[in-house]
Amino acid sequence: MKGKRFLIVVGVLLLALTFAALPFIGACAPAPTAPTAPTAPTAPTAPKPEDQPLKYGMSICMTGVAAEKGSPMGHGKLDAIKYINDELGGVDGHPIIADWYDNAYNAAKAATIVKKLMDDGALFFTTNSSAMMSASMAIANSAGFSGIASFSSPPCTNPPMHIYAQMPDYGDDFAAFANYYMANIWKGTGKPKMALEILNNSTGYGARDAATCLADSLGIEIVATEEHTATTISEMDAMTRIKALKPDVLFISSTPAPTAVVIKNAYELGMYPGIVIGCAHASYTKALIDIAGAKVVEGVYGVFPTVNWGDDVPGMAKMTEYCQKYHARDYGNMDYITSWAEALIGAQILKLAVENCGYDALAKGDAAAWACVEKNGIQKLDYDVQGLHGPVKYTPGDNRLDKSVRVFVIKNGVITPVTGWIEAPRIPYEKYPDKFPWAVPK
Amino acid sequence: MAQLTQFTITGITVGMVYALIGLCFALVWKSSGVANLAIGGLVLIFSWFTYGMVVQIGFPYWIGLPLVIIFALALGWLIERFALRPLIAQPILSLITVTLGIEFLLEGLTVFIWPWMVDALPPVFPPEPFHLGQAVVAQAYIWAAVVSLVLFGLLTAYFKYNKMGIAMRATADDQFAVQACGIPVTRIFSNAWMFACVVAAIAGILISWIGGLTYGLVETGLKSFSVVILGGLDSFIGCIIAGPIIGLAENIGGGYLTPFIWGGLKDIIPYIIIIIVLFIKPYGLFGEVRIERI
Amino acid sequence: MGLPCGTHNYTYAQDMAIMRTKTHWALLIALLVLLFTFPLYGGGYWLGVANLIGITLIAAIGLNILLGYCGQLSIGHAGFIAVGAYTTAVLTNVFHLPFLVGLIAAGFIAGFIGLIFGIPSLRVKGFYLAIATIAAQFIIIWVINHLGITGGFMGIAVPQASIGGFVFDSEAKMFYLIMVIAVLCTFFAKNLARTRIGRAFVAVRDNDLAAEVMGVNLFYYKLLAFFIGCFLAGIAGALLAHWIGFMNTEQFTLSESILYIGMIIIGGLGTALGPIVGVIFIRLLQQVLTTIVLPLVEAAFPALPAGFTSGINPILFGVIIVLFLVLEPRGIAHRWTLFKAAYRLWPFSY
Repeated sequence: MKGKRFLIVVGVLLLALTFAALPFIGACAPAPTAPTAPTAPTAPTAPKPEDQPLKYGMSICMTGVAAEKGSPMGHGKLDAIKYINDELGGVDGHPIIADWYDNAYNAAKAATIVKKLMDDGALFFTTNSSAMMSASMAIANSAGFSGIASFSSPPCTNPPMHIYAQMPDYGDDFAAFANYYMANIWKGTGKPKMALEILNNSTGYGARDAATCLADSLGIEIVATEEHTATTISEMDAMTRIKALKPDVLFISSTPAPTAVVIKNAYELGMYPGIVIGCAHASYTKALIDIAGAKVVEGVYGVFPTVNWGDDVPGMAKMTEYCQKYHARDYGNMDYITSWAEALIGAQILKLAVENCGYDALAKGDAAAWACVEKNGIQKLDYDVQGLHGPVKYTPGDNRLDKSVRVFVIKNGVITPVTGWIEAPRIPYEKYPDKFPWAVPK
Repeated sequence: MAQLTQFTITGITVGMVYALIGLCFALVWKSSGVANLAIGGLVLIFSWFTYGMVVQIGFPYWIGLPLVIIFALALGWLIERFALRPLIAQPILSLITVTLGIEFLLEGLTVFIWPWMVDALPPVFPPEPFHLGQAVVAQAYIWAAVVSLVLFGLLTAYFKYNKMGIAMRATADDQFAVQACGIPVTRIFSNAWMFACVVAAIAGILISWIGGLTYGLVETGLKSFSVVILGGLDSFIGCIIAGPIIGLAENIGGGYLTPFIWGGLKDIIPYIIIIIVLFIKPYGLFGEVRIERI
Repeated sequence: MGLPCGTHNYTYAQDMAIMRTKTHWALLIALLVLLFTFPLYGGGYWLGVANLIGITLIAAIGLNILLGYCGQLSIGHAGFIAVGAYTTAVLTNVFHLPFLVGLIAAGFIAGFIGLIFGIPSLRVKGFYLAIATIAAQFIIIWVINHLGITGGFMGIAVPQASIGGFVFDSEAKMFYLIMVIAVLCTFFAKNLARTRIGRAFVAVRDNDLAAEVMGVNLFYYKLLAFFIGCFLAGIAGALLAHWIGFMNTEQFTLSESILYIGMIIIGGLGTALGPIVGVIFIRLLQQVLTTIVLPLVEAAFPALPAGFTSGINPILFGVIIVLFLVLEPRGIAHRWTLFKAAYRLWPFSY
């Protein structure tokens, strides 16, 4: 049948054309969020900054298992960008485009997203999870595309390459709490005995690695390291073992629900009140108090790298206003503060980059632009983040931008601060190459 | 010695919580021969629904809990009617995969309606634990164990003496013969799923009181598979006995062996038990043995 | 109606041929040409998606051999992929062995681990085997997390793939590497179906007691199916490790295993086309949802509770899996066969 042969050929050609056109269709898809301003026209008159947007790349875990943190963080960032664009007129007049994608806490997706951000011409990217940053960082590092991790872990910033940490990581939490404990709480003689209850991922092991590195120099004896899962409903066996070793202090590096279970078990066993309990910042949120009950967690210490809602700092008013206007459910969530601050820092980076590199170099969105943003934007940071967390400043050899935390304690069911900003010193992981091979510079 | 007592008491009580979820699974298997891999999702969505009723809308518990039960019955009927009835007599792969699909769906729904994913139900039990000799156990666990035993008693009695229960056992045995006797098989499946959802709802609420409302409810559902494998897929008494055994293995095994092997051993013990049981006695302690020989 | 009208088979070779007519050959060559020239017109991002599809395809082919051809229900495939990924990560990062050694070793070690966890298949079937494989995945992940040499919970960096002095450092180079291996694996699977081993697998799937009566050694063939399926998963894992560059066990969840089963079922169990279609469908759906649809939806409904789009992905996948099972349990490949038959018989296709 001649007609059929003709149909076959046409069909095959159409199919081939469709496959070939797919990438173009995808490339023509609209940018994820407004405002899409046209690129600068090549006219003799100087182009207006309003028409010259800057792309801020973001890989957010809005969905997936980490959505409890990722979702409020996404809102914090996007609300802050809205605030900067609407009320401050952008960065030196240039609007910021929030080029964000949801990685759903999936490493393969995060890998494709960072490549998309590079294709999109974003100037740098941020992630809000250390696991997602570790999935993206190999690609970003080899391309010279800088990234900032809101929540970081030691392998992200050691050895220092193009990935920076917005805030101290869980190892730094341990260091800060241990320092504070030795200076202010420990009244005995000799070495206090510390037990660690850690979550079975980089959150927990970050603390354990720091403890391995620092215990001797701090003068603490780590008597037990117990691991638990994020979904545990009972840690009685681990706490019973710990109780038998009679520790003086317990440090928990985990997320709110298992931390609540651990503290409840400690309470039931009669260990607490009695020993001192300190928490890393991943678990020290309102959810901890809700799940465990205010009575049980009374007096539990914790470190946190940002201020609390309602504190009197310059950036609090606008943040509260936008939060309650657009995402009222997130009010009270500390991750929102972290993320709002991240966007402020990002805007500051873009400001420095535009002032030092010029918009035309940045508009290309290529490796030269990224290098310029890193050298003149990130590495020249010296910003107070409107008081929302410790000041960010780059020091060579240390890719952590903010190195300070505050110590808090739970009083009457409310997290109240105890100290001002304490700087957590950089932990020399590379001194123990056999224990921490990832820290050795390549 | 005090440690051993503590481990034992903890093991038994935690095991009873697992057994409670295992009852839900055994119920579905006993009545329809379908493996309910959606248990984690069911437990999750019912717990969050309770949260919605009690915290978001603000009903007191004595209104909220019956509402949850009604919702459980409705959801069970829906699942059976639209996902499982079209697949009657299909190969087992389809049935298992459709329950996996339902699990995805339920997890997604939960995240869709309550995106913040971590919260707590208003506590019902005071935090002071019971003291049993030198050991302590939280009150929520004691209640979970009591509820497990009560449910076990009810279910066993139902399946033994109630006409519908006997019909369910007959259906699991031979569907054709049952239809020949004039018993509507579809109604039996519906009932089985509705009851199973109610049991899952009760289990979910109890676990939420212990550990908060988190994604972890799904993982606890997975752990209950070890209970049903050890006890036998279609045996209620198997659940009740296997639950504490798994709990004991976790706590005593984890308790004493962890310092020697890597930390976190407790979490993997249920799965190791699954593999061991499948090697040695695949149908469990009390399960019905299917004999296939040439 | 597998062949166009007028084509008859006169020899055994013709009967068993994969490419039977000139049209088949022409289409195959056209497809291969299109495939291997894709880097010329696909941008960096779509190349990345294509690479992910290629890697997933290799693992899905393995699962198809295990589940579609041999009927062994395995819901722990992500665990075996993890074994492959970590083997190559450890061998190339810690022991500095070359990429090819890591790749082959990953396949074999994953195959052997699959063999071990496949031993219950000799005693149990169906649901029990499924639970055994779920337990296998958890145990594998737990062991990987606790073995110090794998970097534990912090993860482990993986150097870029390199053969001889040639380093695969760009997306396009990885594309060629992955696609060559994927095409070879597809060819391998298609061939396997028409050999003695493939027929034995199908016999075991359809009725293993009857197969045993006929003299098919169940012990040997079931374990072989596990070995081959997990070997391919190991290869896929090794490529995944080199593609992402950093390995962390959080990347291998139970949801991923379930998604693989979904891909196979949606594509069509036990066919050669099935895994390809299923993988492309699910991965493209994921990417389209992530990069195009969800941001639009989230921006369009700011009044709804924050982050509500979080649930859309799992809901959609759950609904699709259930719908496919209820309405078309034999998958897209079956629909395609029906379409081909109808088209060939047109206008008498009823």
